[in-house]
Amino acid sequence: MQRSAQASAVSKSAGEPEAASDPNRQRRRERLLQIGTLVLLLAVWEFAARDANKLLVAVPSDIAVATWELLLNGELLSATLDSMSTFVLGFVIASIIGIVVGFAMGTNRTVEVILDPYINALYAMPLVALIPILMLWVGIGFLAKITIIILFAVFPVIINTVTGVKNVDRHYLDIGKAFMASRFMVYRQIIAPYALPYVASGLRIALGRGIIAMIVAEFLTSISGLGGLIINYTNAFETAKAFAPVLVVALLANALTVLVQKVEERFGRWRRR
Amino acid sequence: MPKLSVRNLTKRFPVSGGPSMTALDGVDLDVEEGEFIAFVGPSGCGKTTLLRIIQGLETATSGEIRIDGKPVTGPGHDRGFVFQQYGLLPWLTAAQNIGFALEAKGIPAARHGETTERVLATVGLKGFGDRFPHQLSGGMQQRVGIARALAIEPEIMLLDEPFGALDALTREILQNEMLGLTERMGKTILFVTHSVDEAVCLADRVVVMSPRPGRIREIVPIDIPRPRASLGEALRDTPEYVAKRHQLWTQLMDLV
Repeated sequence: MQRSAQASAVSKSAGEPEAASDPNRQRRRERLLQIGTLVLLLAVWEFAARDANKLLVAVPSDIAVATWELLLNGELLSATLDSMSTFVLGFVIASIIGIVVGFAMGTNRTVEVILDPYINALYAMPLVALIPILMLWVGIGFLAKITIIILFAVFPVIINTVTGVKNVDRHYLDIGKAFMASRFMVYRQIIAPYALPYVASGLRIALGRGIIAMIVAEFLTSISGLGGLIINYTNAFETAKAFAPVLVVALLANALTVLVQKVEERFGRWRRR
Repeated sequence: MPKLSVRNLTKRFPVSGGPSMTALDGVDLDVEEGEFIAFVGPSGCGKTTLLRIIQGLETATSGEIRIDGKPVTGPGHDRGFVFQQYGLLPWLTAAQNIGFALEAKGIPAARHGETTERVLATVGLKGFGDRFPHQLSGGMQQRVGIARALAIEPEIMLLDEPFGALDALTREILQNEMLGLTERMGKTILFVTHSVDEAVCLADRVVVMSPRPGRIREIVPIDIPRPRASLGEALRDTPEYVAKRHQLWTQLMDLV
């Protein structure tokens, strides 16, 4: 976005040097364009679906009303808390396992050789296929949901951490060696900071996959949380109410991605802008 | 007894699918305490490899290195290394980069602040401790690298083309500061450079190396009296400077 703003500012400067010299104005114009498009889309949806079967299709105004209702009776909030507590726990465990295993693989060739084929295979395969078998082992409750989230989220963290750890610039390792830094110092002050951006992008991928896992788990194991609301209201043909949890999931996924980005920026402030 | 002695040092690198490459072949060198030795030579002459082996960053294929008569087998706090580029950890501030070396030497954190401030002042960077490397110019980054090496109070300083990546003006300024610094401290210094001017300016002896395989071709003493720092620009007009610069140039031209 930043880049396109610059590019259009440059192309504009030939004819209109004054307008181009104000990047704020440019940005406001672009924001307005986006909001306008959204309003237009919602309006088209509203009018096009007006005469459709209410059981099958919901219009934006119905969804807004349904969301408001579910907010007032507390259903949406309790489902969100239910989903999020499971998700956050699963995601945190997956992150810790992913970083620890990734570090071990990245720094120890033997560990890497042993684990690498399984991790790549599991990352590539559609893990949904494992869920029915998994339910035989861990049931359909909280434990099942956590396990599914971990399974979906852990591999991108491992793979990215390994990449980061293995890519550490030789120049930086030489500094540790020349000044006789201990192994621990090398891990903590050279390898870990170097690998951090890789880990962070692994976490971002894990976040998306974890949210998918959460919804899938709520669909397939014991029906609960936001996924449960979607299933239950769709089955009851209350389509507008089924949209409310979808909206929440979309907002949460985006908010969490921004959060991970902020954390990444906080730890990456040494990097050149 | 020399401060540092290098005996019959040989380094061969394996080359996949061919005979190994000899980077250093039978290098012998004695360095006295407080001496400033500069290494010059065409690329591929092994001068950086020699410095890295003395620091313990690489191991020799055969041969021996002794400091104060004791054999050297790896890195040590008795040697401080200054890298050409990428010598600072970019995620640490200048002070933290120096602190890294102090921590590695086992100096308690409580004493880091005082030492860091002192060495930063020595290289003219007082008050720049909390800057990240990318907030410093190339010349300032190299000063931090020198400050870090000074911080661990080594007996020998090893500098690998420390000013090689700098612009001409910054380079000359840092050369003059280096001259003042080394003449005040009297440390033993090994300095790799590709600049003949730099070598003649700074060194007591210039080691000329030849490539394929890396060998010492000649050791040229530079008899410009010290302290040279006070001479300023006039240093480069002294007959000894002009003569030695010419002599080294001619020798290097023959090698290329």
